[in-house]
Amino acid sequence: MGTSDTSPANKRVTDRMGTQTEVRFVESVCLPLLRSAQNSDGGWGFHPGSESRTEPTCWALQALLQCSWQEIPEAAVRGFQFVREAQLRDGAWPSARAEQVGCWVTALACWVLLAEENSSNAVAMGLDWLCKDWPRDSTLWRRFLARFSSQRDIFPINNSYRGWGWTPGTSSWVEPTAFALLAFAECPTELLPPAAGRRRKLAEAMLRDRMCPGGGWNCGNPLVYGVAGEPLIIPTVWALLALRNRPEQRENVLSLEWLEKNVANIHGPGSFALARLCLEAYGRRWPSDAPEFGSFHEKNEFLRNIQVAAWSCLALGAKRGFLAAGWPFGVTS
Amino acid sequence: MNARNAALIPSFQRPVSKVLIRRAANYKQELASLIYESLCEFNLPINDKTVLLKPNLVGLDPLGIMNTHPAVVAAAREAFLRLGASQVLIGDGPAMDRDTEAIIESVRLREFAGPLARTFVDLNVDDVERVPLKTQASRLRELYLPKTALGVDFLVSMPKLKTHHWAGVTLSLKNMFGVVPGSCYGWPKNILHWAGIDRAILDINAAVGPDFAIVDGIVGMEGNGPIQGTPKECGVLVLGDDPVAVDATCCRVMGFNPIKFKYLARAGTLLGHVAAEKIQQRGESIASVRKPFAVLDAFRQVVE
Repeated sequence: MGTSDTSPANKRVTDRMGTQTEVRFVESVCLPLLRSAQNSDGGWGFHPGSESRTEPTCWALQALLQCSWQEIPEAAVRGFQFVREAQLRDGAWPSARAEQVGCWVTALACWVLLAEENSSNAVAMGLDWLCKDWPRDSTLWRRFLARFSSQRDIFPINNSYRGWGWTPGTSSWVEPTAFALLAFAECPTELLPPAAGRRRKLAEAMLRDRMCPGGGWNCGNPLVYGVAGEPLIIPTVWALLALRNRPEQRENVLSLEWLEKNVANIHGPGSFALARLCLEAYGRRWPSDAPEFGSFHEKNEFLRNIQVAAWSCLALGAKRGFLAAGWPFGVTS
Repeated sequence: MNARNAALIPSFQRPVSKVLIRRAANYKQELASLIYESLCEFNLPINDKTVLLKPNLVGLDPLGIMNTHPAVVAAAREAFLRLGASQVLIGDGPAMDRDTEAIIESVRLREFAGPLARTFVDLNVDDVERVPLKTQASRLRELYLPKTALGVDFLVSMPKLKTHHWAGVTLSLKNMFGVVPGSCYGWPKNILHWAGIDRAILDINAAVGPDFAIVDGIVGMEGNGPIQGTPKECGVLVLGDDPVAVDATCCRVMGFNPIKFKYLARAGTLLGHVAAEKIQQRGESIASVRKPFAVLDAFRQVVE
């Protein structure tokens, strides 16, 4: 456990949190971990001391911004610089710096850079790359072939709907599709590529098509060999957040119900934090029988995972609306 | 070049492999001594070495049906420590769910293996290193793989004895899909499916091949595995220092002809032995523990 930080930024955390226990948890565990784990290149790895990567840097930045107030902390300025420098020439971001091919983290990088005024060009290039990155499983040729494939019965999905894959040239999956939709939703209209509207429609339809029969999402297999897929917390959260512009839709209602019912059975802090973030973004009451958040940390120290600490910051700050009420720095959808 | 690159040796130049089958009635019996005594038969170079146990953790599994049972993992950890290992890590990168901690808590790994904060490595989010694929059986030319898996002295694949709806069976070779990091390739690691599962299994095992395999066949899974299948009580552990031979033996225990699985047939040419005459069976005989597994229609042809 670290000592409580009394910096102005952290005092503002107190203004925004729900309970004293949660405030103490964020101040004494999550924020100190994030601050101490920033690398000299400005980025964060998945663990303290590990090499900087795009994804944990994006989440650490989101958390620092959420837990600050009007000004952007110095640590975040260095983090933004890391993210900008990690962008590839084609506009995409790789998961690790050594990689030469971009992937799904491009959506996360665009999303977080929206909070930084000098990054408009980088964001526009990233979103353009996303619009050009079509999944391979749903090309016209693949859809024609699929009519004659036995896979059609094994894995019955509507492949005219198209989202995003984890890596280029693969299939659509729930989480990367949700991340891309979130990046587009948070982006000011003037930065959106012309194809963004069409991609969003297809992707939203794809997410709705991939919902598990009883509500909730897994990675994107609602039915395999005639057996209903089991939903998972994290894909459900991201899909719900990506589709939150239509809360009255059947998929949203069923999946929120599934999420609320399953909060008490969550085993991991990452799932727990994101479930809370999602329910609060939808204005739902946090279940009274949910376990104490800090109890998760006592078990395995979050496996020292920076991203889980960042998600915890975002969840515990959700009373003032990460995603629910726009950005604290004034960039809103 | 990483330290884990498997030696590609034509099977006719390889010495006979040794595979040990042990009976283990259930997960409550004393498994650490059983595994320790089994490991002693292999004269393994473990003293002062760092060992990584790579179980098969595929999803939330409170009933203990789909994942390698934590009792077996904990017992193997204790056995390797008894053999003189300086450190025994446990690591996996689950393919379908990025909340690895939720999975290990749901299977109660901490209850069996003790505190995990510094013992368990989530291979999905480990630091990565570029590894050129020397076999290039698939269209993949390189993979970014976890430094922990590449850097340890001794890597142990610990799958559960299961059928698999795409690969036919998932044993110690298929289990190595779990070292491919989700943080680079996603959940699931779909790039491997597009590359061809059979061929990707070969590429991965040639790049980051396990030194040893311990298969949890106490309760396996048949039918629509690896997640939605049916539990199958077999009451065995299968161990060996040639993972290909271990998998071939497991297939025979399950009532399958290993040569009928494309990836095993190919692995049998360069990575280990599949042919029965090249495998010295120790412990229980295959015939005495054989329990034919149900398979999906797509794999009827593998049944012996």
